[in-house]
Amino acid sequence: MGDRAAVVAAIGGALGDVMEREVPELTEDTRLFEDLRLDSSSILELLMLVEDATGITVDPEDLDMDHLKSVRSFADYVESRQAAGTPEAGR
Amino acid sequence: MPATTLERIASFLPERSVRIEELGERLGLRRAELGVFRKFYGLNTLRFDPDLDLFDLLRPAAREALAALPAGRRVDYLVFAHTTQAVAPADVDVAQVLREDLGLADTEAFGLSHQACVSSLGAIDVAAELLRAEGTEGAYALMVTGERAFSPVVQLIPNTSIMADASSACLVTLDGDGDVVHAFVTRTLGEYAEWLRLSPEENHEFGELYGSRLAEVILAAVAEAGLTFDDIDLVIPHNVNMLAWRQTIKALDAAPEKFFLDNIGRLSHCFASDVFLNYTTLREAGRLVDGGRYVLVSVGLGATFGAMVITHRGGGGDHG
Repeated sequence: MGDRAAVVAAIGGALGDVMEREVPELTEDTRLFEDLRLDSSSILELLMLVEDATGITVDPEDLDMDHLKSVRSFADYVESRQAAGTPEAGR
Repeated sequence: MPATTLERIASFLPERSVRIEELGERLGLRRAELGVFRKFYGLNTLRFDPDLDLFDLLRPAAREALAALPAGRRVDYLVFAHTTQAVAPADVDVAQVLREDLGLADTEAFGLSHQACVSSLGAIDVAAELLRAEGTEGAYALMVTGERAFSPVVQLIPNTSIMADASSACLVTLDGDGDVVHAFVTRTLGEYAEWLRLSPEENHEFGELYGSRLAEVILAAVAEAGLTFDDIDLVIPHNVNMLAWRQTIKALDAAPEKFFLDNIGRLSHCFASDVFLNYTTLREAGRLVDGGRYVLVSVGLGATFGAMVITHRGGGGDHG
């Protein structure tokens, strides 16, 4: 599995935990609010679970909700955090 | 027109402090949900004492503010401002009980709650208007606010905040020596009147517009006071959560240091008391300066955005 696929799989796995129901088939175009009906708090919960799963660390001060609009933008964001490295990673 | 002045602001907090994780079971919050409240919303500890009676919560702040009443003066109005409509059993009129408790026999007492967590600022405005209308020289009004997070239904605002216990009071007069009120602006967006029963779409929409609407109200109040935002020394905000303030600070393109956010993690959201709690914390820390301009900002479910611009008088000392 490529890195991108692993990130999308991590998002899918976390979605299952947050939604507490079966996750419909995901594509990178899937929108978290409009298509999956997640509210803002669930989206943040998802972000916390993806942090755990991928080892990235998100600084709440720098969080831009635009990163969390779709699976694609979310995966892009996770990859950018992985590439940047996070000083607190592995904590 | 005589100016509204805030002669004494007082606050009271129960001793018992809990971490939000201790409330997880009571509020039905999963570990990850508590994690969101801690990490993104900035909540940590709050005061919560289920054994404390409502009147034992209200009395200390009310008495402290009332102690600033000069000898020979009287309190014409006592306004009990609250967020939750039913804070006591139906046969208990909180304002009347409080009036008797405080020994204010000739005072007219009533409750006010229609602007939810902005009701306390609104009550000051109403009380001052009543004093102006009466035109009695040297008359005072006492605003008292405070309520208990007595049920999980009122303690948790989903996706938003965890409510805590506290009370505050403010002694108000016209053309007194206290802080001068220059402007009070509110905007009510009635389409969000359903409080906690908004649809997911409405909640999402409200979250999207929150920062910019609140920024507009702050700027409108500052402009009505004849000032610009640069003239403001500090915003004294509500404690709903950090996310709300990050959005608002971004919408204002302002320096985060201009907002006093330290109590969000310490005390969380205490209904309509937040701005007064934060005011007393700042005053006790000597951070309110004589002549300093401050904006008290609150948002109430329903949804009302409110901002009051004041000039502090009396330095960082005891006078408020």
